[in-house]
Amino acid sequence: MSDEEHQFESKADAGASKTYPQQAGTIRKNGYIVIKGRPCKVVEVSTSKTGKHGHAKCHFVGIDIFTAKKLEDIVPSSHNCDVPHVNRTDYQLIDVSEDGFVSLLTESGNTKDDLRLPTDENLLGQIKDGFAEGKDLIVTVMSAMGEEQICALKDIGPK
Amino acid sequence: MQGEPSDLGHLQSIMRAIELACSSIQMNFNPSEAEATILSLSQTPHPYQACKFILEHSQVADARFHAVAAVRDAALREWSVLTSVDKRSLISFCLCYVMQHASLPEGYVQTKVSSVAAQLMKRGWLEFAAAEKEAFFVEVKQSIIGRHGVDVQISGINFLASLVSEFSPSTSTAIGLPREFHEQCRVSLELDYLKTFYSWAQEAALGVTNRIVESDSAVPEAKVCTAALCLMLQILNWDFQHYSSDGARSSINVFSVDIRYNGSSAIRSECILVQLGPSWRDILISSGHVGWLLSVYGALRLKFSSEGYWLDCPIAVSARKLIVQLCSLTGTIFPSDNHQMQEHHLVQLLSGIVQWIHPPDEISKAIECGRSESEMLDGCRALLAVATITSPFVFDGLLKSICHFGTISLLSALMSNILKSPMINNPEEETWSCVARDILLDTWTALLATAECSNGIAFLPSEGISAAASLFALIVESEVKAASTSAFNDDDGSDYFQASISGMDERLSSYGLIARASIEFSVPLLTRLLSERFAWLHQGRGTADPTATLEELYSLLLICGHVLADEGEGELPLVPEAIQTQFVDITEANKHPVVILSCSILYFAEKSVDPEIRASIFSPRLMEAVIWFLARWSCTYLLPPEDNRDSNNSLVQDTSQQFRKTICDFFGEHGQGKHALDAIVRISMAALISYPGEKDLQELICRQLLRGLVRRKDICVHLLVLDSWHNLANSFANDRTFFSLNAALQRSLAQTLVLQASGMKHFEASLYVRDLMSHTTAYLVELSGKNNLISVAQLPDTIMMVSCLMERLRGAASATEPRTQKAVYDLGISVMSPVLVLIEAYKHESAVVYLLVKFVAQWVDGQIIYLEAQETAVLVNFCMSLLKLYSSHNIGQISMSRSSTLINEAKAEKFKCLRALLQLLASLCSKDLVDFSSEPIESQGISIGQVVYVGLHIITPLVSMDSLKYPKLCHDYFSLLSHMLEVYPEMVAQLNAEAFVHIMATLDFGLHHQDIEIVDKCLRALKALASYHYKETIAGRLGLGLHAAGFKDSDGKFLEGIISRFLFSLLQLLLFEDYSPDLVSAAADALLPLILCEQGLYQQLGNELIERQTDPEHKSRLANALHALVSSNRLSSTLDRINYQRFRKNLLGFLIEVRGFLRKA
Repeated sequence: MSDEEHQFESKADAGASKTYPQQAGTIRKNGYIVIKGRPCKVVEVSTSKTGKHGHAKCHFVGIDIFTAKKLEDIVPSSHNCDVPHVNRTDYQLIDVSEDGFVSLLTESGNTKDDLRLPTDENLLGQIKDGFAEGKDLIVTVMSAMGEEQICALKDIGPK
Repeated sequence: MQGEPSDLGHLQSIMRAIELACSSIQMNFNPSEAEATILSLSQTPHPYQACKFILEHSQVADARFHAVAAVRDAALREWSVLTSVDKRSLISFCLCYVMQHASLPEGYVQTKVSSVAAQLMKRGWLEFAAAEKEAFFVEVKQSIIGRHGVDVQISGINFLASLVSEFSPSTSTAIGLPREFHEQCRVSLELDYLKTFYSWAQEAALGVTNRIVESDSAVPEAKVCTAALCLMLQILNWDFQHYSSDGARSSINVFSVDIRYNGSSAIRSECILVQLGPSWRDILISSGHVGWLLSVYGALRLKFSSEGYWLDCPIAVSARKLIVQLCSLTGTIFPSDNHQMQEHHLVQLLSGIVQWIHPPDEISKAIECGRSESEMLDGCRALLAVATITSPFVFDGLLKSICHFGTISLLSALMSNILKSPMINNPEEETWSCVARDILLDTWTALLATAECSNGIAFLPSEGISAAASLFALIVESEVKAASTSAFNDDDGSDYFQASISGMDERLSSYGLIARASIEFSVPLLTRLLSERFAWLHQGRGTADPTATLEELYSLLLICGHVLADEGEGELPLVPEAIQTQFVDITEANKHPVVILSCSILYFAEKSVDPEIRASIFSPRLMEAVIWFLARWSCTYLLPPEDNRDSNNSLVQDTSQQFRKTICDFFGEHGQGKHALDAIVRISMAALISYPGEKDLQELICRQLLRGLVRRKDICVHLLVLDSWHNLANSFANDRTFFSLNAALQRSLAQTLVLQASGMKHFEASLYVRDLMSHTTAYLVELSGKNNLISVAQLPDTIMMVSCLMERLRGAASATEPRTQKAVYDLGISVMSPVLVLIEAYKHESAVVYLLVKFVAQWVDGQIIYLEAQETAVLVNFCMSLLKLYSSHNIGQISMSRSSTLINEAKAEKFKCLRALLQLLASLCSKDLVDFSSEPIESQGISIGQVVYVGLHIITPLVSMDSLKYPKLCHDYFSLLSHMLEVYPEMVAQLNAEAFVHIMATLDFGLHHQDIEIVDKCLRALKALASYHYKETIAGRLGLGLHAAGFKDSDGKFLEGIISRFLFSLLQLLLFEDYSPDLVSAAADALLPLILCEQGLYQQLGNELIERQTDPEHKSRLANALHALVSSNRLSSTLDRINYQRFRKNLLGFLIEVRGFLRKA
């Protein structure tokens, strides 16, 4: 990602910065990293050298946390990488609407209605079924770099 | 044989069905049905007549192959119901078939039939009388010595080959019997038959020798000779145990792996010593066997140019292999006549072998022109074999008696020749010269390692030393050349790279041995080569490209490290014997060659502290070599502990004291030692912060160099007063610089820094640890107190900070020692509530939760045994709240993602956490085993057993059957479970029904696991449960109470009691399922108390089993066996050691008796 884009995004969001620089050599497997402008979870890190007496490079394989696409990047290990700010919030599920949106209860007592149901059949089924059975469901919403998505579901007993 | 369809038409229809099935498999037409047809043949009872019919009449080779396979399967299955006449007739049928059809072209059918004959013979080996076996062998012998023609002769020899391989434990086929059976067969064959077989093979080979030697082209008899030679080789490769030198081994312990070499010498090429007893002397030594073999091979060598024979033709290859094998002959076969007979034997062999490798230059030229290298390689192997069984002096003398040069000179000439070969440094492919080099290096290792064990005094003849010196010079030259040519190779495929590093390490340690053999030459040589390159670097700084020189230095530093010092492998390595005993006449320390070499490297390394020089000279890779060398060198030479080692040998003591004095003066406390230590610390510090992102280098510094320094207490004392060390500790504790290190390395560094406290007094140590970690704890306390923690915690920089700090804490906790225990305890106490708050805040970030839990587990593990009752109570309460918190976050949670990789990663992370929690519980358990506190913890009302059960109760719902598929988790879980059930069975009774059912379900899962260790743990747990219940109920108490009696679950369904459930499932497992024979004893131990608890049920299950049998004969056999299981061997109804042992025997007998026909049904 170029610096220009980075600045642009920083300006767009008035709150906390969306990414944070971190030295490539310190990023571990299971951490987060931005590759080609996408927030990814690192599933593989390996190091190699540029020539026998050159410096080390890190080779990252990441999986986009929203789209599940696999992305790769090679960075000199002393350089900085962008690490996305990944936020997760729990909400109680109060309704699943017909038009593909969910209705969530925030901690402060307001509702949040702008989140779409996942498109994946499997996940959709789990939420709809659980809701239909009258279970008390807590959904965890993951947000990073201006996108959000439901990432976990927890059953805290029948209503 | 009753019940067999005997009419011809029926047999023919079976044959046609099988033939059809075979051809449809070949054409891949409906293969599953065809397979089922073939399988059904082996599964029908008594298929022998049909199989024989197919063997004799079918024209389809595949059908015959499957028929004989069916004979094997059926016979092994039905063995216990066959009459002894049937058994013998099956074997003799197979034997006759092999002999009669010896000339058929389909070799694989013949091989299969012979191997089936061998397997059946082995199955019946212990039941047949000697005369019965003799009857089989008479026929075999007749065919082998050539009464029935060449083809039959080969078949006979091949049959013996299958028999020998079937009886050798490593190559035997599984026949479903315990290992003891195989062992008895092995011993019987070794003692009574192998020698006879060998002599038959000799006879067969002798009989055809003239025909081979006299004819000019290949004759069929050559095949007989090849087969016979192969059989002899196979017999010599047998793992003879009876004749081995230590008598203890032959008596017992069939499971042990004997180690022939001590750890110091790693021999890579295969070299199996043949240890034989005096009874073999007549056929191997005094019968002129060696002479005959050499003359046959000599005659063959002359024919290599003619038709039918070449260097790699089968007969030549097997003859050479046998010659090499005979070189490694040792043991009591040679009389104790001062090795004269053995030397004579070796000289005779070498006189033949020397033509293969001498003169070396001509031979390698011929190979480069296209001649096969195999003869030359075999020659090298023979040298290796001879070197393994002789001392350097004898080795060298062997050739002198027949030639004008010694064996060591030949060895060194061969090696020099190979090192000069242009192919040698081609890492891409394994060339013949690499193979030869590795074998010859092993030969040197074998020679020099034996010498080094014998205290190394004048162990090589003087020409040997000069040979080693010139060889080492060549080796270094070739390595340096290889380094400079490969310096610009960029493509180090990292996998290949790793593999080649360990290979190179082995090679370097052989080089080290050679260098030490000629230490007076090699150390000055290395010093000269190094200083040349140091000078080049300084001269060319900034102008010339230094890469080639850097790579040369890299490889020289590695060689120096191997020459000067040994790998400690956790122990404190001594100065190598060769270095100790040489240079005794040098008393001025600064003229000592080893000191000069060490100093020049240290001086060079110290320059890396200067930023300018570092940037221009010290590439990361060169720095790695420097750090590696310093780590290895400092373990051996730096600040050696003074006069705390005694040597028994007075001569060695004198010389080594002399040496010690010289080196102590120099690198000791009062010499340059402190300066060197200071330099090393400064070099490390500079390298740690100025090579950002160079993980390999940083790892070497943290894990090897610094860790190695603090391992020794006397060095810790010196570190204490060094400013450079204080500087390091200070920046680690207070600066941000070290956060650029990988978190795992920060852990290691924290551990190292805390370990250094062992050089301090108690009070100082506490203060030191507190200062070291004060920023860490303060940060965590402050963070956890923030109002907006939830949002702050998820910021990437906070996550990184918390991860690094937790790793540091974990490192400090893992370094807990009595001296620092209190400080580390306080450290843990101060972060207790922050840890709980952070677990809450990071509940979605399992990577961080893992670090938190891992720290707690490590902390508890280090602390628990020291804690007083009250402190234990604090700690236990903390652990319980942690478990509850963790469980409340994770129960019922489902991760969702589109990516299956991410889902799996998330699962794997959770299981790692779970495993850490199990480890936490396991370390809590250890309080009951080791406890240093002044009063018993019960005074505070804590029972560890209870605590851990509550813990298990919380965790078990998280342990799903799915998660037990992770081997490490599974292992830890069952270790904990079996420990808990064995030590505190009474607690089980107090578990509620749901938890109990869950635990029992996992136990049932574990019983059917494929890992033997896990099944064993489950069986031990079962034994503990059942015997507890039995003992309690006998004493009139409740025992497991409801759990054993059965109860209704929440849905009102009646659940059977666990004792009866496991009695059923264990019997089911033992009788009908697959398991390793090694588990039978453990299963017996669990089964006995189960049966005793539920005798009624045992009877009932037994009756049901008997009822299910259709065959009346089976019924009565089963009834008898079931009865014998619980009554024979004077089995009583107590649970003592003797009774357990009796029951083990009973169960083994029972299984052998009935498992065969029960499983078939």
